[in-house]
Amino acid sequence: VRRLAPALLLLLVATVGADADDAADVNEECLACHADPDLSTTLGDGALQSLTVDPAAYAASKHARRRCTDCHPGFEEQPHPAWDTSSRPAYRATYHELCKRCHPQQHARAEDGVHFRLLAQGDQRAPFCTDCHGVHDIEAPDEPRSRISRTCGRCHTAVAAVYAESVHGRALLGSGDPDVPVCTDCHRPHDIADPSSRAWKLGTPDTCARCHGDPAVAARHGMSPNVIKTYLADFHGMTASLQRRQAGGAPGVATALCVDCHGIHDIVKVDAASSPVVRERLVQTCRKCHGDATDSFPAAWMSHYDPSFERSPLVAGVLFFYRLIIPYIVGGLLLQVGIHAWSLFLARRGSVA
Amino acid sequence: MSDFVRFTRRTRLQHGSVLLLFGVLSVTGFPQKLFPGAWTDAIVGLLGGIDRVRLLHRGAGFAFAALCVAHVAATLAELRRPGEVLTMAATRQDVVDALSSLRHELGDGPASRFDRFDYRQKFEYWGLLFGGLLMIGTGFVLLYPTVAARFLGGQLIPAAKAAHSNEGLMAFLVVIVWHMVHVILSPQVFPVDRAIFTGRISTDRMEHEHPLELARARGEDVPPAGPPATVRNLALAIVQSAMFAVVMPALGVVALGDRLWRGRKGARP
Repeated sequence: VRRLAPALLLLLVATVGADADDAADVNEECLACHADPDLSTTLGDGALQSLTVDPAAYAASKHARRRCTDCHPGFEEQPHPAWDTSSRPAYRATYHELCKRCHPQQHARAEDGVHFRLLAQGDQRAPFCTDCHGVHDIEAPDEPRSRISRTCGRCHTAVAAVYAESVHGRALLGSGDPDVPVCTDCHRPHDIADPSSRAWKLGTPDTCARCHGDPAVAARHGMSPNVIKTYLADFHGMTASLQRRQAGGAPGVATALCVDCHGIHDIVKVDAASSPVVRERLVQTCRKCHGDATDSFPAAWMSHYDPSFERSPLVAGVLFFYRLIIPYIVGGLLLQVGIHAWSLFLARRGSVA
Repeated sequence: MSDFVRFTRRTRLQHGSVLLLFGVLSVTGFPQKLFPGAWTDAIVGLLGGIDRVRLLHRGAGFAFAALCVAHVAATLAELRRPGEVLTMAATRQDVVDALSSLRHELGDGPASRFDRFDYRQKFEYWGLLFGGLLMIGTGFVLLYPTVAARFLGGQLIPAAKAAHSNEGLMAFLVVIVWHMVHVILSPQVFPVDRAIFTGRISTDRMEHEHPLELARARGEDVPPAGPPATVRNLALAIVQSAMFAVVMPALGVVALGDRLWRGRKGARP
C-alpha cells in the first residue's frame, strides 16, 4: 500500500490536470461557433434567443474549469440534442433543470420559495437560478456581500432604494460592514418565504434575533443585547410567541412585531429624528394599533430595558414587593401547616402508644 | 348524629362560582405567565389557541368582577338588618386565637374555641377579597391600557402586569398550601370537606371546630360572633382585617420561637 500511495496520488494529479486540459479542449471546440456574437435562434413564440457565450466572461466565471458538456450533456454531438425551444418559458425551464444536476439542494430549496411558486403560476417575471446567478458568467454571488442586495435590487427596485437609505443599507453599501444583513440574511437565498404570510410575520422576532440577540454583534455596534429578551417578556412578544404556536390560527397577526414599530426596509437608528420609535414620535407609532393612545401612553413601554428603580420605579417596586411578600406569606403558611401536621403526628403516635 | 345548617344557598352558590372562576382564571392565566413550556403549549393548544385562552380569561374575569360587586352589595345590604353582626371581621381576638391554637399544637396550653369562622378561614376570606380586588383592578388596566394611561400614567400598565402576574401566583400558592390542605388533606375532613357544597356540617364537627357558634345556637349565653354590623364597624373591620392578613403568616414563627425559647428556659435547673 505504501508503494501504491504515491502512484495513486500521481494518478489523481494527472487526472485533474487532464480534466482541466480536457475542458479547455472541449470548450474551444464549442466556442468555435458560440463565441459568434450573432449566433441566435428564434423560439416558438417568436422571441429571439441569443446562443452566444462570451469566452472572456466564461473564463472569469466560477465554472471556467467545467466543460460545456458538463451542463449541456450530449452537446458534443452534431446536431445537438433537442432542446425545448417552443417558447421562452419552456426554454428557461430546460436550463433550470441543468443547474439541478450539480446543485440539487439549492434547487430543491428554491422550489419551496416564493419565486418558484410565481413561476409555476405562469408569472415569467419571477426569477430562477440563472436570473440571479447569471448563465455563462456565473461569479460568487456574495463577493462582495453587497452584490447580493444589488442582485435583488435589479427587480425589487423600490425596496432596494429604501433599503439603501436604511441603517442596514447605509452600513453595507457605505463601509461594507460584515454584520449588517443583506436581503438574503432575512429573506433566505433560495427558499424565500412569502413575507405577507402569517408564519413569516410571526417569525420576524427570530429573524431580528439572529443579529440583535447576539451579544457579540451588539457589543461591536454599541447596541443593547437585551432587546429580544425584553420584547419576548413583554405582552407583545409573549403574544407573538403564543400565536406562533397556534396551529392555523386567525390569518391576521394581532400583536406588534419588531417591524411594526421599527419599520422593515426603512429601519433607521432608534434615536434618529425620522425614527418611528424616537421619543417625540413614539405615540404616533403606538396609535397605529392603539388608536386612542394619549401622550402618557408610551411610558407604558419600557424601551427594551429590564425594570429598574432608576428607569421604571413603579414596576421595579411592585416586583420587589412580591419578591418579599410571596416567600413571607407562602413560607409562613407552610410553617403553620407543618406545625399542625406535627401535632397530628404526635397525637396519633400518642394514641397508638 | 344530627346535622347543623352552616351555609345558606347563596353562600354555597358564591363559593361554587369562585371555585369555577378561580379554576378557569388559573388555567387560562398561568400559560400566559409561565410560557414557554411544554405544558403551557399543551393547555393553549387544548383550548384552541392564545386568542381563545384570552377570551376565556377575560370572560371569567368579568364574571369574577361581577361576583365581587354582587358580594359587596349584598354585604352592604345586610348592614341594615337588625341584630346583624360582622362574623368575618378579623380582630385582635383572632391573633390571640391563632397564637394559642399554634401553641396548643406545639403542646402548650388549651385549644382555642372558635366562633362562626376561625382565624384560618378569616385569613382566606380577606386574602381572597383583597387579592381579588387587586386582580380585578389590574386586570382592567391591562384590558384597557390606553384608558388607564390617560388617567393614571403609562408606567401603571407594566406595573399592573407585574402585580397581576405575581398576585395570581401568590393566590394560587395560598389556595394550594392553605385552602386545599385544610379542606382536603386535613384528617378531620379527608377526602373533602363537603360542608360548603351541602351547606350542612355534623354537630360533632361543630363541637370541635365552632363550639361558640354551636353554644349560641343552643341558647347558651355567648358573646356575639363579631362587632355589630354598622358602616363604621365595617370600615374598621376592613382595616383591621387587612392588618390581620399581613400579620397572620408570621404567627407560626412567633409561636415556634416562643415555644423554643420557653423550652430552653424550662430545661435549665
